[in-house]
Amino acid sequence: MTFTVVAASYRHRERQRSAPYRTVMAGVTFGGVAVFLGFVGILTMFGQREVIAETLSLAHLTIAMSAFFAGLWVTHASSRTGLAARVAQGLGAGTVAGALIALLALSIHLFKLRRVFIALKKDLLDILTFEQSIGAAVAVLVIGGALCGLLGAALYLMPRKLRRPLVVGLTWAFFVGLFQELIQLMLQYEFLMKFRELFFTWDGLKPQGALIVFAAAAVTAAAWQAYRPRYDSFRENATPGQARMLLGFKILIGLVLIIGFPAFAGNFIGQVLMLVGLYVLMGMGLNLELGLAGLLDLGFVAFFAVGAYTTALLTSNADIAIANMSFWQALPIAVVLSVVIGVLFGIPVLKVRGDYLAVATLGLGEIVRVLVLSDFAAPVLGGAQGVLGIPRPSIGGFEFNDPVDLFYITLVASAVAAYFAWRLENSRLGRAWTAIRDDEDVAQALGINLVNVKLLAYGLGAGFAGVAGAIFAVMLASIFPHSFQLLISINVLALLIVGGMGSLPGVVVGAAALIGLPELLREFGEYRFLFYGLVIVVMMRLKAEGLWPSAARRRERMLEEESRAAIEAELRGGASR
Amino acid sequence: MKTKLVMKALAVAAGVAIGATSGVSAETVGPVTDPLGVVKIPKGAPIHIGGYWTLSGPDVNLGLDQKRGAEIAMDDHGNMVAGHPIKFYAEDSQCNAEGGQTAATKLASNRNIVVVVGPDCSSAGTPGGPILWKAGIPSVATSTTAPSLTAADRPEGLHGYMRTIYNDLAAGAADAEYFWNRMECKSLATIHDGSPYAEQLVRVAENRFKELGGTVTAAEAVAPTDVDMRPVLTRIATTKPCAVYFPIFVAAAAQIVRQFGEIKGLEDTTPIGGSALMAPGFLEAAGDSAVDFVFTNPDTSPDAMGNRYPELVKKYKEKYGEAPIQAFHQNAYDGMAVTLMGIEKVAVKDDAGNTYIGRQALRDTLFATKGFDGMGGEVTCNEHGDCAGFKFAAYKFVDADPESFEIGKNPIKIYP
Amino acid sequence: MTAQAASAPAGTRLKALKRITFVDVVLWALRVIVVVVVVGGTIGTFVKGTYTTAQWVDFFMFGLTIGGVYALIALGYTMVYGILRLINFAHGDITMAGAFSAYFLASSLDRAGTLDAFPLLAMLAIMALAMGVCAGIALIVEHICYRPFRHVKSLAPLICAIGASFFLQHAFRGMYGSTIRSYPDPEWMKGRLDLFGFEIPVVQPIVILTALGAMLFLYLIVQKTRMGTAMRAVSEDRDAAALMGIDVNKVIIFTFILGGCMAGIGGVLYCFVYKQIYYFTGFFPGIKAFCAAVLGGIGNIPGAMVGGFFLGVVESVGPALFLDGIGITAPYQLRDLIAFTMLVMILIFRPQGILGERLASQRA
Repeated sequence: MTFTVVAASYRHRERQRSAPYRTVMAGVTFGGVAVFLGFVGILTMFGQREVIAETLSLAHLTIAMSAFFAGLWVTHASSRTGLAARVAQGLGAGTVAGALIALLALSIHLFKLRRVFIALKKDLLDILTFEQSIGAAVAVLVIGGALCGLLGAALYLMPRKLRRPLVVGLTWAFFVGLFQELIQLMLQYEFLMKFRELFFTWDGLKPQGALIVFAAAAVTAAAWQAYRPRYDSFRENATPGQARMLLGFKILIGLVLIIGFPAFAGNFIGQVLMLVGLYVLMGMGLNLELGLAGLLDLGFVAFFAVGAYTTALLTSNADIAIANMSFWQALPIAVVLSVVIGVLFGIPVLKVRGDYLAVATLGLGEIVRVLVLSDFAAPVLGGAQGVLGIPRPSIGGFEFNDPVDLFYITLVASAVAAYFAWRLENSRLGRAWTAIRDDEDVAQALGINLVNVKLLAYGLGAGFAGVAGAIFAVMLASIFPHSFQLLISINVLALLIVGGMGSLPGVVVGAAALIGLPELLREFGEYRFLFYGLVIVVMMRLKAEGLWPSAARRRERMLEEESRAAIEAELRGGASR
Repeated sequence: MKTKLVMKALAVAAGVAIGATSGVSAETVGPVTDPLGVVKIPKGAPIHIGGYWTLSGPDVNLGLDQKRGAEIAMDDHGNMVAGHPIKFYAEDSQCNAEGGQTAATKLASNRNIVVVVGPDCSSAGTPGGPILWKAGIPSVATSTTAPSLTAADRPEGLHGYMRTIYNDLAAGAADAEYFWNRMECKSLATIHDGSPYAEQLVRVAENRFKELGGTVTAAEAVAPTDVDMRPVLTRIATTKPCAVYFPIFVAAAAQIVRQFGEIKGLEDTTPIGGSALMAPGFLEAAGDSAVDFVFTNPDTSPDAMGNRYPELVKKYKEKYGEAPIQAFHQNAYDGMAVTLMGIEKVAVKDDAGNTYIGRQALRDTLFATKGFDGMGGEVTCNEHGDCAGFKFAAYKFVDADPESFEIGKNPIKIYP
Repeated sequence: MTAQAASAPAGTRLKALKRITFVDVVLWALRVIVVVVVVGGTIGTFVKGTYTTAQWVDFFMFGLTIGGVYALIALGYTMVYGILRLINFAHGDITMAGAFSAYFLASSLDRAGTLDAFPLLAMLAIMALAMGVCAGIALIVEHICYRPFRHVKSLAPLICAIGASFFLQHAFRGMYGSTIRSYPDPEWMKGRLDLFGFEIPVVQPIVILTALGAMLFLYLIVQKTRMGTAMRAVSEDRDAAALMGIDVNKVIIFTFILGGCMAGIGGVLYCFVYKQIYYFTGFFPGIKAFCAAVLGGIGNIPGAMVGGFFLGVVESVGPALFLDGIGITAPYQLRDLIAFTMLVMILIFRPQGILGERLASQRA
């Protein structure tokens, strides 16, 4: 209780800042982001990337957006001031952001910063100055910043009816521009070529294409806004039969999308979806351990490796292979072995609690990684050269060769695993897990066999990762020890937390966000992990309980918010009294 | 259960449908007929070239360096090939199998891409090469040295895979012969860093050295991120080898070179590195200890081959603000240069100014490259796709200043 | 348990045998394997007699040197954990950030000759810069990743810190480039010292002594100052401390600054011993240092020190001592395996660490 009070008063204090302070802070924060992007070289990379071909580069868009959002944010934060003051603050914040960027341009121009900061070179200066003289550029940046800040304020103050379609249209145009390469990849067949030529050049979205996308999205959004009340009233008044039909319809669309889309979108999307699927499998496994039983595990990659290596050694045609099975024969063995290793893995860490568990499991995971790579185990596991020549799975003469084919195997495996996980969650065992997560001592007092229940959590969780590993091995047709890094464990943990612990849909959403998105934005490869880190931090700040929290957690959160609001109200009342 | 069955059936049906449409058959477009298909480039449209290297994670230097090499090659070509602008797609191979597979899949699904330059890691090329070749796209790898990739009995999928870097088999054996014949060593210790590249090279060299009659006193391994090499060197010191051979990458190799002198018992032992150290970055990392340090590398001296390398280093510094960060940018430069030359040879123009490129024809032309004067030496391909004619040489650094890096002057060639 | 069973009468012995579970069997097997490897390996190594006494001393000193660096980084982990009960996963990368920034000062001082002319002054300046950068970044990390979650029991701060770790690595790669930079190598650092007849490079005692000094300083702060008392109070019970009028926020900020300073010193020392600095330098030492903190007993300042030295020595001596004797190829490739096995063994059989943790009994 004490802390809620402390927290509430802290928040309270933060709201008391003066308007000029807010304005400058907004400008400095958002302008600072743009400057930072310049420092690390992202702005230079964005400069080569055109959102609208030959019109607007991503770098210029970023610069404009920093001022725009500074204006928008400060308008949002000053909800208690008058209209004119808010507009003025928006203008001011935009100016500050623009000035900050102008300062960066000036310092690159004046000093030899490149010795230390390698990204501050001429390319960046050209972007910041729009290839004008430095004086003109400073003026453009400051005035442009002011204008963008004004636009941000204007957007925020606009009536909702107008703002929504506008935002939706702009967002769509932006994303179509950003993902143009992927969309173009899907549009290279026969009649679709016409669309491609209408919208895109090879370097990006055409201005006319952007306009069409914007208009289409805006009109749709406006139409939906008008139609929405009718849909809502239909949904509220629907008979149970109608409701069921609506739900069935939604599920059907979902199924058609997930089954049909990869086949339409081609191998690359299939490959990305398959990677997402593998992480979904692993995420569901870790969810049993962490989400249900509360056992933190940073060595999850070990089970993945066991599944992959078992499959590889049982099916490969390489010299070190121990059998020549088919994938379907090897899969159950791989899973069983993963479960066994999972249980063995669980035994030493049974009595370890809390964050120590993170370190212990991290250690065990690293042990597996080092062993797999080592010369010591090379005669059995292949060492640095890995295992080559793993055949692809086949059913009755049909070989699953392409990523899209293999994606369907992953999809089926995930569906089966999800069903299994869902049944487990609501079983006696699942409840026992939840009990030990919430309070180990009480759970033991209730007659739950801690040892067995915990080991089952490790074993079953490992089994899921074993399936993922087996599919991973046939996906690559060759495996190398360098694929089994600590990073995989971290990824699985992060996707679980970002998605929402203990929630199956959360696992899918988390995997899509943390694994799928970086794969789709591969062109920013160099900065992939920078964005990855950023996304994790931002997501945790905005939605700490995850993108799709489990129902129980959502309830907890709501209760928490309510009590906090009550305390805050009390505090405020107390202050005025 | 029922839903599962339905889904399985659906999955199989969809899979079959795709499998049926993805077959490649002979195609005639405009003036060109090609068994694998023809890419038509309309007048003024770009020619699409792919590339994939390690562009993220701890090994990023390896890939970034090669991407830069390829980009300089395109600059030198005016960013034009066969009268068309170049549209270059650089993907991230992550230096592992799944990264290579994803990158190759993405490149392969772009039907306009005619050829792919890269990758840098054998573990990425092993799954990546077949995916590209299935789509009729040949690969020109730039630092994948694993023998299995161009072995005579390699799988069908690697028949479109060539490389402008030597093969470990040739390099490892030549290195061992140098130790035996030239240095007159009777004993050898080796260190690898767990990368498929170094491990293979070390094993080949050990075997050849034993064949020649020498003894391998210690076969050690470290991790590429290790910094304290003193214990492992002390261990090697107890076996008193004549030379220690470590064909590993800059960070760990520089630590070994730095700490070598501190170890008692290694006074009569010579440290010898591999070609990953042919870069100014190594001088920066190893400091003064780099002076007099010997390493093996394909012969790139002007009298043997390319004399344009110093110019490449100059352009590199100009464009990227730092000296080359790894040692294979010249192979990437050559890979891209050979590729562009191949495209120009194969490209057929019609009267309207459209260009046609036959996929099989391009592959055959690339594999038939002979006597190209590259930055990393002469490029001449054999029928299996090994293109870097391996001419052994040993080099020695004479100055620790990274600015002084210039092949022939620092390091100087000491053999042959 | 089984030891008691052996001395019990026959009837109860059967019962006791029944009570031996699968888990016990596995744990005993684990113990036996480790003991066999350790004892067998050690005997084997000495029978072979590969190494001279001087070499064993060398191994030991190498281990103490790297252990000293681990210990300095571990101090940051241990303090933050003591106060917040949270793993600061980004701590290793904070270390890198400070050392990387100080590189530019160190190399310009070296070029100007200051590093050789006024070694102490130059070193202090370099360390001050590193400490400043580390403390600054530590504060930012605290502000962004920890403060919002201070009152929430969840894994969010751990994940947030993992995100910050990636972010820091790649932000610094973007800013300073991916080249491996190397710290200057002044003449006075190359010297050797004669210690009881064994020749030792002069850097090693410098590192070990600095680490010990820093630890002592820290220990005094925590034990003897008002702020230190407040820190201990907050670590014991944050609620009660707040009610007693301690500004918890200030204490936490102070802790992060202190941890950042230690990271700065550790990072600079690390770079003077191992010379290289690049954006990934911090990650693995960070993980190792965290293990060291756990080994010594987390939340315990001398514990972090002991854990660091212990881990360093085991990493350096272990492969030669245990693995060489049983004829394992390339034992130094398994260095991490030994380190982590030892960590897991300690967590199983002495979960509170070597010196014991200094935490209130109920853990967050």
